[in-house]
Formats: sequence, structure tokens, C-alpha cells
Amino acid sequence: MRFLAELAWRDLRASGRSLWVFCACLVLGVTLVAGTGGLYRLINAGLLADTRVLLGGDLEVESEEPLPDRALAWMRERGDVSLVTEVDTMLGTTGDEFLRVELQAMDSLYPLYGNLVLGPDLPLAEATASADGRWGAALDAALAERLGLEVGEDIHVGELTMRVRALVLEQPDRALSADWRGAPVLVSDAALAASGLLQAGSVADYDYRVRTALPAEEWQQAFHAAFPDEAWEVRTFEDRSRRIAERLDQLASGLLIIGFSTLFIGGLGVFNSIQAYLQGKLKTMATLRALGLRNRRLAAVYLLQVAILSGGASVVGAAIGTALALAGAGIIAAEVPLATNLASLVAPALVAAGFGLVTAYAFALPAIGRALAVEPASLFRGGFGRAARPPAGWWLAALACAALIVSLVLLALPDTAFGGGFLLTVGLLLLLLDLVVRGIRRAARRLDDHPWLERRFALRLAVANLHRPGTPLRAALLSLGSALTLLVACTLVVAALLRTINNTIPAESPALVLYDIADRQLADVVAAIEASPGPARVETTPLVRSRIVAINGRALDELPHLDSEQRRDASQDDYDLSYSAGNIDDVSLAAGDWWHEDSVDSPRLALEDYEAGQLDLAVGDVITFGIAGDTLEATVDAIFSQKGIQTRFWFEGIVSDGALEGLVSRHVGAAYMDDAAALAAQRRVGAIAPNVITVRTAALLASARDILGKAAAGLAVVAGVSLLASLLVLISVMAAGRTRQVYDATVLHSLGTRMAVIRRSLHLEYLLLALVTSAFAVLLGSAVALPLLNLRLRLPSDDLLWLGAVTALAVSGLSLWLGARYLLRRLRLRPAVLLRGAN
Amino acid sequence: MIDIQNLGMSYPMEAGELDVLVDVNITIADGETVAIVGPSGSGKTTLLILLAGLEKPGQGSIVLDGTDITRLDGDTLADIRRDSLGIIFQSFHLVPSLTALGNVSLPLEIAGRGGARARAREMLARVGLADRESHYPAQLSGGEQQRVAIARALVHAPRLVLADEPTGNLDLHTGAKIIDTLFGLNEETGSTMVLVTHDNEIARRCRRVFQLRDGRLVEDGDNALPG
Repeated sequence: MRFLAELAWRDLRASGRSLWVFCACLVLGVTLVAGTGGLYRLINAGLLADTRVLLGGDLEVESEEPLPDRALAWMRERGDVSLVTEVDTMLGTTGDEFLRVELQAMDSLYPLYGNLVLGPDLPLAEATASADGRWGAALDAALAERLGLEVGEDIHVGELTMRVRALVLEQPDRALSADWRGAPVLVSDAALAASGLLQAGSVADYDYRVRTALPAEEWQQAFHAAFPDEAWEVRTFEDRSRRIAERLDQLASGLLIIGFSTLFIGGLGVFNSIQAYLQGKLKTMATLRALGLRNRRLAAVYLLQVAILSGGASVVGAAIGTALALAGAGIIAAEVPLATNLASLVAPALVAAGFGLVTAYAFALPAIGRALAVEPASLFRGGFGRAARPPAGWWLAALACAALIVSLVLLALPDTAFGGGFLLTVGLLLLLLDLVVRGIRRAARRLDDHPWLERRFALRLAVANLHRPGTPLRAALLSLGSALTLLVACTLVVAALLRTINNTIPAESPALVLYDIADRQLADVVAAIEASPGPARVETTPLVRSRIVAINGRALDELPHLDSEQRRDASQDDYDLSYSAGNIDDVSLAAGDWWHEDSVDSPRLALEDYEAGQLDLAVGDVITFGIAGDTLEATVDAIFSQKGIQTRFWFEGIVSDGALEGLVSRHVGAAYMDDAAALAAQRRVGAIAPNVITVRTAALLASARDILGKAAAGLAVVAGVSLLASLLVLISVMAAGRTRQVYDATVLHSLGTRMAVIRRSLHLEYLLLALVTSAFAVLLGSAVALPLLNLRLRLPSDDLLWLGAVTALAVSGLSLWLGARYLLRRLRLRPAVLLRGAN
Repeated sequence: MIDIQNLGMSYPMEAGELDVLVDVNITIADGETVAIVGPSGSGKTTLLILLAGLEKPGQGSIVLDGTDITRLDGDTLADIRRDSLGIIFQSFHLVPSLTALGNVSLPLEIAGRGGARARAREMLARVGLADRESHYPAQLSGGEQQRVAIARALVHAPRLVLADEPTGNLDLHTGAKIIDTLFGLNEETGSTMVLVTHDNEIARRCRRVFQLRDGRLVEDGDNALPG
């Protein structure tokens, strides 16, 4: 064994850098798997370590009004209760800048879990108390930085001018969405009351956090049993864990799948590169066998070499991946509480390295088997070592490795359904690919004898290379094709989103969107906007929050076709109702028809398709809504779809004009003007109605572009790594095919073909490959992206297919042109060797 | 047709120049069959390489149909090989990516001649491989590959056929059949043929036989076909 190990090592060292593609492909794949796996572990450990802290209690009871005393008494008997009152509003600076924030007023028990850290280090009560004629506020540090505010400066909140007394350096229950939904501003209960923001019709959330010795689920059931008729939402920390875990699992599964795909694509590079390497070793093998080395021991030499190379590459990949995971965690730690625990990175690194080893063997075993199946006698006779089929044992061993990979993928992916879907997709992709390759080869073979090619010698040679045995078609399609598919899908999604953002121009969409206008403020707010010096148009419509109490005259709990979860969702979900107001939110009908407003005798309703689907509702059903003690009964005349990411108000129901008479306390609105006027209008509204939330479309678009830019950069990196792996595979394909290309060209030249014709034929061969690969990528990439865009994001993008095609053609054309250039530079023919070599 | 005058070729070696061909003079008429025999390393293959225009000689001239090919550039030499030469290699050297039919039609297609496939099919039938036209070289036996190579070398009825040990990689029985095919077809096309061989039996089937010894060419009338 020692002799074999030494032989393997010496032979490997003598081979120089011929196996660098083998190593690079494995390193890339293992790096991605280790990096994404490690990052997932770190985030998972950070977020799920104690979701009590993130939730702020063992349970949370959420209501839009303060809970009655009887409920509070019940809760306090069964644990500690801390109230956090949250109100969305605008914060104004002394420089007249306005930004949406979330005011939070806490009682003295806050926080029940974890620690609140303020800078300077003050108790919260002291930071938010009234002093020097100003109420104090503690500002989220990210918000302070964004607005350029420091401790000691004044801010406007509602009717109050408050003073920043501290910055919140650490808030245990800071929402993950705080940065785009409104950063927290901590104030006292008294200040909130004095701000004038809590009035009839205001939107406030009362979150009662509970710390209890009872199991949370048991507490929740007892609470529902004690107050069966109330629609208060109760969440346990376990619910929250489950929800976070689900999201994380999906995200991590998506990232890991990209890692596995890269490893799979890299596997092709491993196969090609080891095959080319072994082709060069055929004489050594024949010599060793002629000298009496048994096949089994010879196999051991090359299996050891694979172990050395894949072991080394996997360790390097795992190390780089772990370092990337740590770096990524460092970036994410700014948003999410993460504890960097090196020990939690060991398992993902080991798993990734294991994947690398098994993948290397799965792809290398058939190549080794094939090399060992070549008869030594044929080598000594000067043949070219005609390819033989590897014995069944080698295939079985490779299949066993593949089965191990499949099991490992299913075990390693947090979301098993995702893993199953991935494996199914890979299987289908391989099947589809095989069909495509067979189809192209058959077509090329038919074309081979076509009279059209009679005088097109270079093209005939190129076509012949598509259907000859050992054509690089399959490898090129699988490696470059899959990477291009990813690239085309990303291009289509990013381009569709960018187009949506760029098309959302003030001429067609409102420059200012207004939420939470109290009924009494409506006239003043409209007047403040219309006071703009330039042309300005304001449209407003009521927004009434309701809940479903009955369907077709029967209470929800009397409806047999609804399960308990559907009933609870329906009774606890808020339904925002409004008038059509000239279709202010630009919805489109999916079923039924709009009513004629002047011929309506009873309230009519258009319902959002998602909500209708949740409760199996259809046109003709009658829904009874409960609205602040009143009821409204309306007949469903139509089902509508939201516009998607451009939706501003997201109404769940649109009712006929007048149906909400007497029930309206709030309005929403849209103002059409230029952005400078919108900025001025925002300030005027802020001055007279500070509770009204105003969002400038221009600011929203700027932040959307910013987010999209980051997402596009992330996608570009992912697609880039995948493309890099596929280019390595292509290099390995070309390296393996180089000897053949040079040989073919030499024979052709010796038969009288000019070099220019040989070059043209090579270019045509690669051009045909680029065309076929691009067509494959465009078809598959659009099959992935278009349903996502059309159905999920509701951005019809069929007309962007040309962009996907141009991207695929450009990238594949460039890659293959570079490949052809590389090959041609090495195409120094010496036809005399054909004669000399034989003698 | 071929007039070789004062042809010399040497290769630089560590110990100095190695003379492979020394002052070779020979004139070959149209339609003649010529065998070059000699031990290994005597310069047979070098002579064939120079005749094919695949290398340039150290000195002397090779005049083919009135043109000194030693003075031509690569493309013009390629055109001469395309139009006037057919080469048969010891190791066949078929293009592995082309079928038997594709290989045989190559010379006609390179020249852009019409009806290439039909003519190639005819030629394949002549060498007894009509039923193997869609097979790739790797799917053919050694003897079959050499028959495809002969068909390829003769399909465009070249003025000159250069054959380098055409049976060197074949067993005795297959080799004899191949030689029959080669001489039969060559007689039909009326091409001039220069054949390099170790085998005196094969050499005797040629009109003229030359011995190459230490780079010098000497005609061997005793072993040639009777005039």
C-alpha cells in the first residue's frame, strides 16, 4: 500500500498543473455549499436561539384598542404583562425633513426578555420623561444617522416638539422590517397621549407581551377559551420561531441549491479534466500493467490520486466558504442579532467537504473505469487508446456515489420539499437535455447529406462536429446552458423590475401617497396639497377597516365548509374597504363585472381574488362585514386582482358608492404633481396634520432602486460564480477536445484544406454551439422567470424575451469565441507528423 | 511529370547535422508506379514528406507538372495537395468526426466540386464498403479504415498518389487484399504512384523500384516489373 501511495503521489507531482480545472471546479462548488450552509447555521442560531427575546415575551396579545380590564386581570393572574403601544406616524426634523416612523410607548416592565441599551446609558423612563419643557425620545440609531440627528436636537412628532435624549443602541425586539416599514422611536405613554395621535379613528396597535410559567400553547388555548368572542390575535414565541424557521429554511434552501448546482456543474469539469488526464496516462498504465501491476492495484493508484486532489480541493473550498460565511454574518449582524459561533460552522464545512469528495468520485469513477478497460496491447500497437465502456462495477460504484449525493442533498437542505423539487428538476433537466441533444444530433446528421451544404465545406465540417461521437454538445449545453439559464432568468426578473420602477413616473402615478387622513382633517389636507403653485390634483377615498362576521347570512362558525383555521383567519383578519374612486388603485377584474353606480339599489362588492380564494367566495355570495359595532351587508358582484408590487393601498374590498356612509373615519389619497411640489406639499401636510403618513413616490423609487441595485448585484455574483464554474467546464471540454481538433485540422491540411477554411470551420462550430446553447438557455430561463413575473409579481414581461436572448447570445458567443481564439492560437499544424509518427 | 534534382535534407542534431537525403535525382513519368524501399531511418518517409509539400528541403528542387513546389507558400501547396495529390498513410489518419462517406468525399468537398457525395458513394462501393458509409472510423476495423483511406486518396483521380507503408498496420492477409485494391484502382485512375514500403513483394508490383541507402537513391532494376 505504501508503494501504491508513493507511486500515486509521484505520478501526480509529475503531472504538473494538468488537473487545475478538476481542483478549481471542486473548490468553487464546495465554497458555495460551505458558505451558504455556514451562513444559514449562523443566522438560524442567532434568530432562533431565543425567540422570546425577539417577540418580547412568551406570548403577545395584539389588539387595535386597549384590552378591557377583565381581560387584563385574567392575563395578570397568569403571568407578567407589559404593554407596548405602537403608532405609525411622520417624524419631522427642524430642517423640515419628514420620515415615516413607528412610535413605541412602553410601560415600566419593558423589556420582559433581553436588554434595552441606550446611548447615553439612561433608564428608558428618564430618557422619555418631560424635562426643560420638552418630552424626551429615544431614537433608533439607524434612523438618527439617516436624518443626521444627534442627542439634544429637537424633532416634531404629532403635535409635539420633542427632544432626542438618547439613541437606541440595542433593542431586543426590533422588528426585522423596521428599516423599511418605519424605524422605532421610543416615547412615554404620557407623551404619546399628548401628541394628539391617539384619537378616534387613529390606527394604533396595542401589543400586550406576556411572561408566563405556563406552556405558551396552553396559555393561548386557555385565553381563547376564556374570551371566545373576541378577535384579539394571540401569538406565541413558538409561532414566531416556526414562521422565522420556515422563511429561513426556504431562503437557505434556495441558496444551497445554487451551491449544489454549481457543484454539479463543476462535477462535469471534474469528469472532463480527469478523463483528459487519464488519456495522457494510458501509456503509463499500459507499461505498469505490462510490468505486472494488477488492475486492482493500478485502480488503487488513480483512486488515491482522486482522493488526494478532491480532499485538498474540498478542504480549501470548505475553508473559503467558512470565511465567506463569517464575512456575510458580519454584514448581516448590523441588521439582525447574530452571535458568531465558530463551532456551529464546523458541521456545514464538514458536510460541504464531504459533498466535494463524493461528487469527485461520482464523476471520476467512470473515467477511471474506462481508462483501465483499454487493452495495453492496443496501446503498444500505436493505436489511440480507443475508448472502451467501463466495466459494470465502475458504473455501479459511480451510481452508489450519486445515490449518496441524493440522500445527502435531502438531508442537508432544511426544506425537504425544496430538496425533492431540486432533485426532480435536475432529473427532468437531464432528461430534457438528453432529448434535446438527441434531437440536435439527429437533425445535424440529416443536414449532413443535404444538398445545401454541398459547396459549404466549412459549415459541413461544423455540422458534422455536432453529431459525431464524443461531440462536446452535451457538456456545453449542461454546463454553459445551465449557467446561462440562471443568467437569463435573473436578467428577465431584474429588467422587469427596473422597467416597472422606471415606468412609474409622476405623470402617470401619484407623486405623493397619503395614508391615515382622519375624516375631520380631509378638507384641510386636500387644501394644503392644492395650495401648490403648479398644477396639482388630489384624489381621496375612504378607507374603512372591517371584519367578516357572516357569509350568505350565516355566521362564520356555522359554515361547514370552513375549517377552524379558515374561521379564525376570517374573523381576525382586517378587510380594508373603499370606493372605486375612479379605480384609484388600478385593480383589474378577474371575474364578474363592475356595477353601474347610478343603478345600485343595495351595496355591491368587488372582492380581492386572494381573499375570495381563502374563503371559497364567488360572485353572488353575500358578505356581512362588522365595522366598529355596525354591520354592512354587500353582494359580491366581482372578483379583482391587485396590480402587484405597484399596488399602493391594497384594498381587500371595493364597495358601491355610499355603502360606507356613516362608517368612514379615515381616508387615503393620491396627489399628482411634480416631485418638488410633492416635497413642499409633504411639509405643509406635516405641519397641519402630523399624524397623516405621506410617502413621496420619488423617495420610494429611490429606495426601490437602491434595494434592486443590491439585489441585482447579489444575483450577478451568484450567476457569475455559476458562469465561472461553467466556463471552467468548457475549458476542460476544450482541453479534452484540443488534441482531437489539432489532429483533425492536421489531416485536413494534409489533404489540401487551407488554414483559413480550417479556422472558419472552427468558428462556425463554436457559433453553432453558442446558438444551440443560447436557445436552450432562453427557453429554460424564460420558463423559470416568466411564470414568476406574470403570476407572482404580476409584471407581464413576455416582451422582454429579446433581452434574455441577447444576454444569452452575447455571453455564450463571447465565451465560445474566446474558446475558439484560445484554440486557434494553439493550432500550429505540422502535417508531416502524420507520416513521421507512423514510422 | 515529377523531376527531382539535387534534393538534399538534413536535420540539426547535438553531434552536428544529420544528412537524411543526399543529392537525390529522379524523374518519374506520368502513370508510372514507383516503389521506394530501404531500411528504417534511410529517409523514405522524408522523401515522401517533401514530395507532398509538407516540409521544405534543405536544397534542390521538386518540379511537379512544371512547377517547383519547393518555392510555393503554404496555401498554394495546400491547393496542389487538394487538386493533384492523394496521400495514403500507414496509420490511415481518417477524420474521426466524419463518417466513412464524409471522409471519402473530403477531397471533393475541399475543392468545392459538385456531386461529391455521389462520387464518394461510388468509390466506397468500389472498395467494398457500400454498406458502411454511415460508420465512423472508430466503428471500422483496421482493414476497413485503410480501404476508406484508399478510396479517399483516389476519389478525385489525383495526378500523383503517395502511399506510405499502406499495409504496415495490417495483418498479412488483409494487407494483401488492400494492395490488390490499391493497385487495381490506381490502374483505373491512371495516377502516378510513389509507394514507400519495406516489403519487396509489394515493391515488385511497381514499374520502377528505388533503394534508399544512407540518404542516397539508387534504382534497383532487378526487383522492378519487367519493362
